Parts: sequence; structure tokens; C-alpha cells
Amino acid sequence: MSVGQISIQDVVKVYDPEGAAVMAVDHCSLEIEAGEICMIVGPSGCGKTTLLNAIAGFHDITSGRITMDGEVLCSNDKPKSEPGPDRIVVFQNGALFPWKSNLENVIFGPVMQGKLARKQALEKGRAMMADAGLSGVEHNYPGEVSSGMRRRVEIVRALMNDPKALLLDEPYRALDSLTKSVMHEALLEIYYKNKVTIFFITHDLEEAIFLGHRVAIMTTRPCKPKKVLTVDIPHPRDYSVLTSKRFRELIEETNDAVHEEALKAFQAGEKEG
Amino acid sequence: MEAAATANGGDHAAVAVLRETTPFGEASGALLARIAALARLARYGAGARIYAPDDPADDIFVVVSGRVEHVLDPEVGAREGVKRVARGGVFGWTGLLLGQTRRMATVTALEPTEVLRLNTDDLIKLLSAEPLEGEHVLERFVSMIQREFTVPALLARVRRLSGPLTEEMSKLGLTMYRMSLWLKSPRPYLMLIGFALFLGFWYLAVEVWKLPRFREMPGPTSVVKEWLSPNPTYGLSLYTEEYYQHIIVSVWRVTKAFLLATVLGVAFGLLLGWSRAFKEYVFPVFEMLRPIPILAWVPLAIVMFIATESAVVYLAFLASFFATALNTMLGVESIDESYVRAAHCLGADRWQVFRHVIIPGSLPFIFTGLQISIGVSWFSLVAAEMVSGQYGLGYVINTSYMMVRYPTIVIGMVTLGLVGYITSAMVRIAGDYLMEWRVRELALSER
Repeated sequence: MSVGQISIQDVVKVYDPEGAAVMAVDHCSLEIEAGEICMIVGPSGCGKTTLLNAIAGFHDITSGRITMDGEVLCSNDKPKSEPGPDRIVVFQNGALFPWKSNLENVIFGPVMQGKLARKQALEKGRAMMADAGLSGVEHNYPGEVSSGMRRRVEIVRALMNDPKALLLDEPYRALDSLTKSVMHEALLEIYYKNKVTIFFITHDLEEAIFLGHRVAIMTTRPCKPKKVLTVDIPHPRDYSVLTSKRFRELIEETNDAVHEEALKAFQAGEKEG
Repeated sequence: MEAAATANGGDHAAVAVLRETTPFGEASGALLARIAALARLARYGAGARIYAPDDPADDIFVVVSGRVEHVLDPEVGAREGVKRVARGGVFGWTGLLLGQTRRMATVTALEPTEVLRLNTDDLIKLLSAEPLEGEHVLERFVSMIQREFTVPALLARVRRLSGPLTEEMSKLGLTMYRMSLWLKSPRPYLMLIGFALFLGFWYLAVEVWKLPRFREMPGPTSVVKEWLSPNPTYGLSLYTEEYYQHIIVSVWRVTKAFLLATVLGVAFGLLLGWSRAFKEYVFPVFEMLRPIPILAWVPLAIVMFIATESAVVYLAFLASFFATALNTMLGVESIDESYVRAAHCLGADRWQVFRHVIIPGSLPFIFTGLQISIGVSWFSLVAAEMVSGQYGLGYVINTSYMMVRYPTIVIGMVTLGLVGYITSAMVRIAGDYLMEWRVRELALSER
């Protein structure tokens, strides 16, 4: 029944193939199950965003293949997929249009695609915003509400399109840790209602283990899975998980791998600098 | 214990209390009466708990008599969490905050206390019917919450008025309202003082001290006398028809030049920013032509357009066009790539991206360009009028110089300054009107 199964098969991405080639993604294969939260963990600049851009259709790939529910998004023959409302990106710094009110932002997708008339879209938008605890800010501009709220509005804007998958690119990076913890629970709540596949990039191991069904720890430049961890803490989860024994054990199990990659990334950065 | 909240009979007394509060203090009598009609009177004995954190935030309270202690939850991050509220004090405003539906404070009556209770949603509804005044009341709430309760600005953001009236409310009305607030602030009077100082210096330097270099200049009294005279010595004053003819001719020329430059400049700039290929062909030529001073174009303009009228407009147009086109292009280039990507993700096609992302996203830059453009348009118009043409303010200045009519020169200059100021203010108002989102964002970051 679930949709949104993404399969990354042997994907390679080399930047600037003629000049000083930089391999960003190296023969990376990863299966993302339909309806799961798959967390991608790696240090900044390790190439994980490149992977997301390839799925979303912002960049082409050098070789390999990415499919969604069996349909080819991009491959050797067609290196760049078309961006579309079936997989929507939530950006690192947020990309709500500051010149549209929150509600106008939320209805943007269905109205542009001609899927809903404006009036119905407004109705649906209001209902979905109310559902996400966003009543009262419909007519505010994004610049007038807190950054946590902006993130929620952006996720509602994505969900308005009934996407198969959400691609989140470190969406909570700029938030303070208190707001972040609130946002995590809010995201899970939205997820439990919608059961959409979530491909979530982060560099925060605790965030990854708290949210994810599975956590893929990536090697740094070139990027490919170093270790894939199945988080056996049952959903639905709430904040008590953070202090549970199993959570701590999982962190301990993976911390070394993450630290090793962070160190590599740091040293590589020093060499370049 | 709360005594039964009674329907409030003494509207008059209620209005009097409301008038003593910060949020409602400046509201009109009519609005206050309607708010008072919403109010229910309630009494609490000494030591009674009025509400505690996590209670639903339904009502706003206005203290009529007695005193309460208001203790904010430490998580709110107020600088001073404990506050005593007496007559004219307002608490229970949590329900007005964005996304807050639960109480954030513990409030206890310190002595027998009477309060007015206003239902938050009913109040918002009422204010929505009077959007102009309503917005002002909400603004006052924000400053009260920040100042009197020391709540951080981040939290003290109130809900916006809703309802068809506000959604469709004429933005012009709002602008007019802001204007009336401006007149009530000290700013216009400081401005007048600035002008008075300037005129005073001019008067003293020319007519009293007769400083070197200033001696030959016309002083303010002779200029004003000439300007206001029904029978001007040099033939130009507020009473002569010719004066207005010159103004109209110049304004009409600038209007034509500016509108043409805006239409063509914005279109050209959008194209430059949007299409890389187009930019590569055109931009180097554009950049070479742009720095050429407008006066250097005069001979060619006269050769190109036999009629001086078109030549003058062309020169004013040219300067405007460069400013508008360049800023528009920079505006398109300033748009964050993720907005375009987000729009594509949400299923927008190329044209929709252009219409809903590129154009609104570059508006701030476009209007900066238009501000510059209207200025240089006047600048080059006057230069052109001085060189060729009949009529117009530049022509007035130049011929008055040749005919030794010094006060008339200054009349021409001051008129230019005034008319130029008005036109650029009009451009700015148009910009604020189209970019309400930006005005609001800037207002928040200033706070």
C-alpha cells in the first residue's frame, strides 16, 4: 500500500569531469523503504546533499540509477531527474516565499499544478495549518513568525501536494536546541498522520537515532554508506526515548564511526585550506 | 473564589478603566464603548488563584480595583518574571500571541479585586471590524507585553486580525492611517526645525552678515517676496500662469521619460537576469554605454530627434533606463536559488516561476532602482532643458541666469527640489504598497 520506495543504485557523482575532478559520491547504493524515516548522517560537506539534489532533480549524476516505486528518476541515459511534487525538498535555510503570506505559501503547489481551485486550496490549506497547530498565522508573512513555525509551514506546504517522499536537508540546523526538540516531536506527529517516506539529512547523530527507522552513516567525500543501523526502538516515540538505555547504547555503537568521518572531513578541510 | 461573572451594567465605568490602559488608551470612544460591551465584571477574594499555567488562554483581564500578582513561567524568558498589576493594568494577553493557546503565568489576587474579562476571540473579531484602529490596539499590546512584562520580542508577536475586511482591506487606508500617526509623532516638527535652521543660515549669510561669496546671491526675503508677488519684478511668481506652465512641462516630460524607462528598463533587466545567453550578448555593450554622462549625449540626441521636445525626453529617459535596468538585473540575480528550486519542486513551470518568484523576488531591487531612476531623470531633464528646449524648469534657470534675474533662478531651483521630492516620495509609497511583506519584515527587525 505504501508508496515512496526510493532505490539508489551505484550512483557516482563527479564534479567538473574535465578539470580537477572531485568525486562527491562514490558508487553509493541505498534502499529506502516505502514509508520509512531514513536518516543520512555525515559531517558537513561530505556529499550527502549531492545525493539529495540528485533525487530531487536539481543536479545530474555521473553514472548509476535512482528509482522511485520502480520508476526511473535518473540513470546513465537520463542523468537529471525532473523536480516534481512527488518528492518535495525542505531546504536547509527554509524556502518559504517571503512575499507570500503563510497561507498563500501553503496553497502554492496545488494551485500552480492546477490540481485544486483556489477556493478549495484555501480551505484545505487552512485545515492543514490548523492540524499542524498553525492557526492564527495564516495571514502573517513568514518573516513575522518564529523560525520553528516557518519550518512547520514549509512542511505543511510540502504535504499539501500528497508527496510520496519528503527530502529534508538539515532543516533544523539553524534552530536552538530547545526549539529543535519541539520540532522533532512535531515532525513525528506529522509523520504518524501522513506516513510519507522521509529522507532526512543531518550531521546530528542524536537527532538521527531519535527520529529514524534506519540511520545510514556516510563516509566523507566521496560519500557512500559506511554503516547502516536499524533503530529497534518502536514508534511512536516521544522524548522519553532520549533517556532510555537502548538509545544510549545505539549512540555508543555508532559514535565511533561518525567521529572517524568527522575527523577525516576536518583533516581534508585543513589540507584544502 | 470567583464571584459569578455578571453582565457588565456600568459601561461608562468600564470605558473609563479601558481608557487608563496601555493597549486601549488611544482608541476612539466608539470603539471603547463596543469593547466595554464585551466586558464581563468578575470579583476575586484575597488569595484567590485567577489562573495557572496550561489553563486555556480564553480571556483578557483588565484590573478595575484591587491588585493581583502576575508570575510568568520562567521558561518564557522574561527579564522580570514577577509583576503586580493594579487598576488600569492588563494581563491574560497570552491568547493574543501567535500560536499560544495556554496560559504562561500564575495570577493570584492579593486583595479583593475586581476585573473586566474580555474574550480574546471576540475581541479579535471586534477589532477586525475596525482594521485601522484594531491594528493599532494590537501594536500597543505588543509594546506593553515587551515593556511592562519584559517578555522577549521573539515571543511577543501577536496574531493578525483576520476576516474578510482585513484580508481585502485597502492598503491605501493603512498608508493614510500611518500618515496620521506620523503627524502625531515629533518627527514632522523636527523636520520643520531643520528647514528653519537652513533658511536662517541663508538669511544671515546673505542679508545680515553679507559673507564673501554669498553677497551676490539673492537672499531669502527677496526670493520669497518675488515668489509671492502678484506683480513679480522678473515675471515669474506663484501668481503667474507661466510658472505653472513651466512646472507642468517639466513634470510631463519626466513622467513620459520615467514611465518609458520603467517599462523598458524592468523588462530589459528581467531578461538580462533571467537569460544567461541574452546577458552575454548585451551586457558588455550596456556596461560601456552606461557610464557616458548624459550631457555627452546632447549633440547626438539633437541630431537623432529633430524636435527638441523628443530630444529632451530621450535624454531623461536614457539616464533612468540604465539605473532601472541595472538594478532589476541585480534583483533577479539576488534571488536565492532555493526559492526557484522550491517552486519547481511544487510543480511550477518556467513561466509560473517567473511570475511568482522572479518578479516579486526582485521587487526590492527594482524599487531601489526606481528611486535612483526618478532622481537621475530629473537631473538629466534639467541638464537637457538648459542646453536646448523651451519651457521647463531647467530652461527657467538657464534663461534667468542669462538675463540676470537672480531671484528667479532660486525660485526655479526650490520648485525643482519640491517637485522632485514629491515624485520620489510617490515612487517610495508605491514601493511600500507593493511590498507590504518587506515593510513588515523590516519593522520587526528594527524592533
